[in-house]
Amino acid sequence: MSQADIQLQIPSVAFYIEPVRAFVGNLAQSLGFSRKRVADIQLVLDEICSNAVHHGSADATVGVKLRISIDTDALEIIVRDTGGRHSGEKNWLTHERLSEIEMNRSPSNESGHGIFIAKSLADMHKMQPNRDGGTDVRVAFRFSKPRNPEI
Amino acid sequence: MDSTKLMKLREESGIKVIEITTDLSSYAASDLRKMLEGLLAEKVEKIVVNLSQVSHINSTAVGALVGVAKRLRQSGGDLKICALADNLTRTFNLIGASSVVEIYESENSALAAF
Repeated sequence: MSQADIQLQIPSVAFYIEPVRAFVGNLAQSLGFSRKRVADIQLVLDEICSNAVHHGSADATVGVKLRISIDTDALEIIVRDTGGRHSGEKNWLTHERLSEIEMNRSPSNESGHGIFIAKSLADMHKMQPNRDGGTDVRVAFRFSKPRNPEI
Repeated sequence: MDSTKLMKLREESGIKVIEITTDLSSYAASDLRKMLEGLLAEKVEKIVVNLSQVSHINSTAVGALVGVAKRLRQSGGDLKICALADNLTRTFNLIGASSVVEIYESENSALAAF
């Protein structure tokens, strides 16, 4: 069980990603992550929130949910969207779609890098369908040494 | 908020220079793309993007820069980037975009490369 849970919900609008990124950056810094690692965490958060906002939310009012958990070993972030952007649209993250994105990723492409970045920089990265018909993206970043459980 | 106010456009020796003074997450990246598209519509062929005051860039913004650089090259122009902080360089390297877009240490060296 985690020592602390922080839950946030933002409208599915790109504008709200930046303040969340700033908040998580400050939190990661306070938890003792190095400056380089804080930048990694902020980038991964930006990428998975961008995917959730642009591909995974039926409308802005439903929003994107974030759960940030802190335990003795790691900072874990779960970003939950609710599914297709338009009514009736399938979940953007089918296995076929994911394979297609990964197979076609190229440095010269303008998009399709977000999942690759999250996988590359997080110590743990998982994606799975959720009961709302959307996708949960879960990432974790391990502390370099275990944290004091009393904080 | 309109983040294009944090993207200053000027001209140096016939080359458009965009000096960005905001971090480039999704919202600002969208505004950057619009600004670049506007320059393409004006038939601008040479662009330098100065990122010296940027401490964060996401793949959407990198993609916008890559896309415009590729399109400009088709007409004999180019988009060059300069003055990246270490973590921005890491993002470009991770994506592989540093092999697609020319990156320079300073604005002067980027301008001189045209």
